Amino acid sequence: MAARSENAESDGSPDLPDCGDAIDPTTFEQILEMDDDEEEREFSRSIVYGFFDQAEVTFTKMDAALDTSDLPTLSSLGHFLKGSSATLGLTKVKDSCEKIQHFGAMKDENGTHDVTDRQRCLQLIRDTLKKVKVEYKEAEKILKRFYHEPDMPQ
Amino acid sequence: MDREQGLGGGGSANSSSDFVRKLYKMLEDPSYSSVVRWGDDGGSFVVLENERFTKSILPKHFKHSNFASFVRQLNKYDFHKVRHNNEESGHSPYGSGAWEFKHPEFKANNKDSLDNIRRKAPAPRKAPQVVDEAVPTQQMDLVNSQLVATQHQLQSLQQKFDELSMHNNMLTQELIGVQKTVVNHEHVMQNVMSYLHSVDARQRRDSKVGGPFANSEENGGPSANVDPSQQQILPSDDEPASPLQHATKLLQDMNADVQLNYKNLEHISDIHNRNGAMSTPPPDGRHARAPTSAGSSSSMGYSKLHADQDQIVYPIGHTNGIDPMYSEHIHNIPYPMPSKEDIVDPRVSAPAGRKKSTQVDPGWVRSPQILLVEDDPTCRRIGSKFLYSFRCAIDSAFDGLEAVNKMNAGSKYDLVLMDIIMPNLDGVSACHLIRQFDHTPIIAMTSNIRSDDISMYFQHGMNDVLPKPFTRDGLLNMLEKHLGHLKQIPDGMEPISGNPMAQSSSGHSLKDENSPTQSPSTISNWQSPSQFSGISPTQPAPPHQYMHPMHPGYTQDQSPVQYPAPHTEMAAPQRQMQHRRQISEIGGDDIANDQKRQRMYDQTAPMGMQPMARPR
Repeated sequence: MAARSENAESDGSPDLPDCGDAIDPTTFEQILEMDDDEEEREFSRSIVYGFFDQAEVTFTKMDAALDTSDLPTLSSLGHFLKGSSATLGLTKVKDSCEKIQHFGAMKDENGTHDVTDRQRCLQLIRDTLKKVKVEYKEAEKILKRFYHEPDMPQ
Repeated sequence: MDREQGLGGGGSANSSSDFVRKLYKMLEDPSYSSVVRWGDDGGSFVVLENERFTKSILPKHFKHSNFASFVRQLNKYDFHKVRHNNEESGHSPYGSGAWEFKHPEFKANNKDSLDNIRRKAPAPRKAPQVVDEAVPTQQMDLVNSQLVATQHQLQSLQQKFDELSMHNNMLTQELIGVQKTVVNHEHVMQNVMSYLHSVDARQRRDSKVGGPFANSEENGGPSANVDPSQQQILPSDDEPASPLQHATKLLQDMNADVQLNYKNLEHISDIHNRNGAMSTPPPDGRHARAPTSAGSSSSMGYSKLHADQDQIVYPIGHTNGIDPMYSEHIHNIPYPMPSKEDIVDPRVSAPAGRKKSTQVDPGWVRSPQILLVEDDPTCRRIGSKFLYSFRCAIDSAFDGLEAVNKMNAGSKYDLVLMDIIMPNLDGVSACHLIRQFDHTPIIAMTSNIRSDDISMYFQHGMNDVLPKPFTRDGLLNMLEKHLGHLKQIPDGMEPISGNPMAQSSSGHSLKDENSPTQSPSTISNWQSPSQFSGISPTQPAPPHQYMHPMHPGYTQDQSPVQYPAPHTEMAAPQRQMQHRRQISEIGGDDIANDQKRQRMYDQTAPMGMQPMARPR
């Protein structure tokens, strides 16, 4: 994890965390490039931590919406988190959110075919939500390490 | 004793006051009897020796040594000092220095009744408290609900007002469009009239030649005569046929009227947009070819002009500049050739610049005003940051509703970046609404980019699509494509050359139909498209000419027939947007054109006008 890839092409050559496929380096890098100070990284840090808050809140709302079987809300929450995770380059999170969006709209995971069974949609969302939380945690860990924050106790 | 009371009074301890219990306990202590004791009948108590009581007993039981306090406390619990004025010359049976206090419920050997002794009203302990709270709570509730109701009312009024003002604006715009159509028709009529006049004149000449006989015959009943051919033949004085005269007069009268109204309306709509701008040039100036003659007089800085034109650009109207009557123009549309050379420049330089530093200066002549409509805070912040790094001025809106309100309130932007899925009002609906009164380019930012989605965006007036998640480069391309008119050309060429930029980048865009759009950049006479390209520095002056029509001062210079032409210059910057529509517009849909044209004026007016006015 401590290994970092140096991006020679960009002038800022921000140190990207070695994040595997959790985070899309190109997307994340363009946000890092916006940092005025490469030590402080105030801008990207605030974006990323703002996203953490947003994600936590959204997950809570998703849980609540699952409890009430509120598919439309689940769909729109999925869409909402999809946007920000995509902008940060959290590819996996984004993909899962997109699926939740589709399931919530009673579609299959690609959004191409209708799914008529509500319970099935809810179950799919339940599974996907579980998965996306894990994916989020993984990305969060990487990002927090990148911002030099000690790991959260497991 | 203490214990007993503690146990026995367990229940009552809760309700009776501490002070009263202490008092009772104190009186139960027989060792104090010489100082303080129950009265003889047990219905009162007596402080026999004030001084000793204060110094030794009070501190023990009440933690102070202040007799006055003690008395005040007694008063609070509604004890009363027993006076003996009526008995035995006012002397107390317990001695002259004795203080006797009583309370109906305070009796020796009746501990239970202590519960009935309560503090007096000013600070009641329990029940009163409830009442105290209850009343204000109720009142607060009432006030609150009233407030909420009022707020709701206000909100709905506000909404209604917004709606009405939007409708009003729309109607005004429509009306202006219709009026302009009328004016156009009128011009056609005038042309027809002048043609008829010439025919008429020829006929008169012919008839004169034809012979005096005819003339003399006709003198009797000329115009009323049924025979059309004879009707034209008038007495030897050179007057046109009276029906012609009549028609001409009618036309002139009508013309004036229309003009008046239409100016007023434009004024209204301008006010509505809060940018009281110039009215469109009244189309009925009598001097044909005005554009050319007027051109030389303007001396304003070119770049300035251009910069302020940004708003002008978008109104679709430019195609209208091509008078539908002159269909041959369509075939003569000169595409700005120079663009090709320029294409290379900006493209190469821009990406290169980006790699080298995070601060890209695309070389705006002024900071473009961008409205970012996005409900997601992360996207909004990143988008803003990118835009900021491109030297743009950013305003943001949380959802479509806010965006519509901002624009309806008169905020002017060079570009709107619009998320599609948002709470309250989605981007497509917002765009649709905005299009009723404004033609600032609107770019959809969305991850839903299937072809049917995209065509829907365009149908509702969006100008382009920026797929999400957007990249910095993608964003920059979009800006350069749609804000080409705000760009400076590095090698000191005329700023207008920003156009080529737009052209070049449009190649990337989803729509490639923009070539026809360039036509507007050419002027009415189509002679010098190159001027706009900025490639021909040798002719710096001509471009100025074309701006004139926009200036209110020039309005009179324009000939009725030609007035559409001037719009084309404004169109030059505009062309990158509306590629689609232009094709059809060029086709010559009169009404559509007119509507668009007037819209264009509305927008252009505020921005274009001030700077232009300055030179004058």
